Amino acid sequence: MSVDPATLQEGVELPPLEVAPGLGQVIRYCGMAWAFPPFFYDAEAARAMGMPGTIVPGPLKLGIVYRAVHEWLGDAGWIRQVRTAHRRPDRTGRPITVVGQVARVYEEDGARRADLELLIINEEQQPSVRAFAVVEFF
Amino acid sequence: MVEESLLTEDVRAHIGKTADRGLARVTPQALLRASETYFGAPWEPAPAHGEPVPGIVVAALETESFGLEMPSVMPNSLLISNEWQFERQLRMGEELEVQARLADISERFGGRFGYSLYFRSEVEFREPGTDTVVARSSQTMMQYDAASAAGGGDEE
Repeated sequence: MSVDPATLQEGVELPPLEVAPGLGQVIRYCGMAWAFPPFFYDAEAARAMGMPGTIVPGPLKLGIVYRAVHEWLGDAGWIRQVRTAHRRPDRTGRPITVVGQVARVYEEDGARRADLELLIINEEQQPSVRAFAVVEFF
Repeated sequence: MVEESLLTEDVRAHIGKTADRGLARVTPQALLRASETYFGAPWEPAPAHGEPVPGIVVAALETESFGLEMPSVMPNSLLISNEWQFERQLRMGEELEVQARLADISERFGGRFGYSLYFRSEVEFREPGTDTVVARSSQTMMQYDAASAAGGGDEE
């Protein structure tokens, strides 16, 4: 899908993106980032650190928010900024949902842009991430 | 329980420190790794040389930066936030200088985790041979002492 920047208004909701990042996706992230904290892929190590099990890396959730914004934006523009504030851990393999809405539509530096406010919601319906994004339309 | 600031001059002296500059190139392989990681599939259609690429590619290019020495002041650490910022779209095939920098250190008294220190680091992507930043990936880590954490509530 793609949005129409000419008619876009504040309050428009993005389609929810539900994913369940599994161990395979977490290991792909670790390999790409060359970052291997054991609590991301080793349940015993995670429990030894007081966690209930392995958790989804925070930077992976940044990319998942990027994906939710991209899938809404389509070819109408590009993503200038995405920011995530991590509130609580998400367990590997558990469903999480990215939800969001348009907070502001404006002109800046000769371009039409929109600010988006987003959340990642866990299966207990608690926000695990607060996120913000800026998109620029073509 | 920490009641005095641990943000000493020695710790503050790390603010602004940079690692050596590295060099990265936006390649189909880097985009493939990022796309499969975040989207679970290759990026379609694959950008040709010189065409814009999605910002996620910076995640696969950050590894070309050299490591940054981070002071270890407190026993526990936690990721607080991440951010990608872009001044323009990156393009397939372009070369970028990458450099890590410790942008800021701040402290907080009280709260769910008790006394804590916040370390904001950035990896900047610049046009080679210039100081023109085209993208920035940043993160904030919190150091704290779990023995002093009160528990409950959200960390702001």
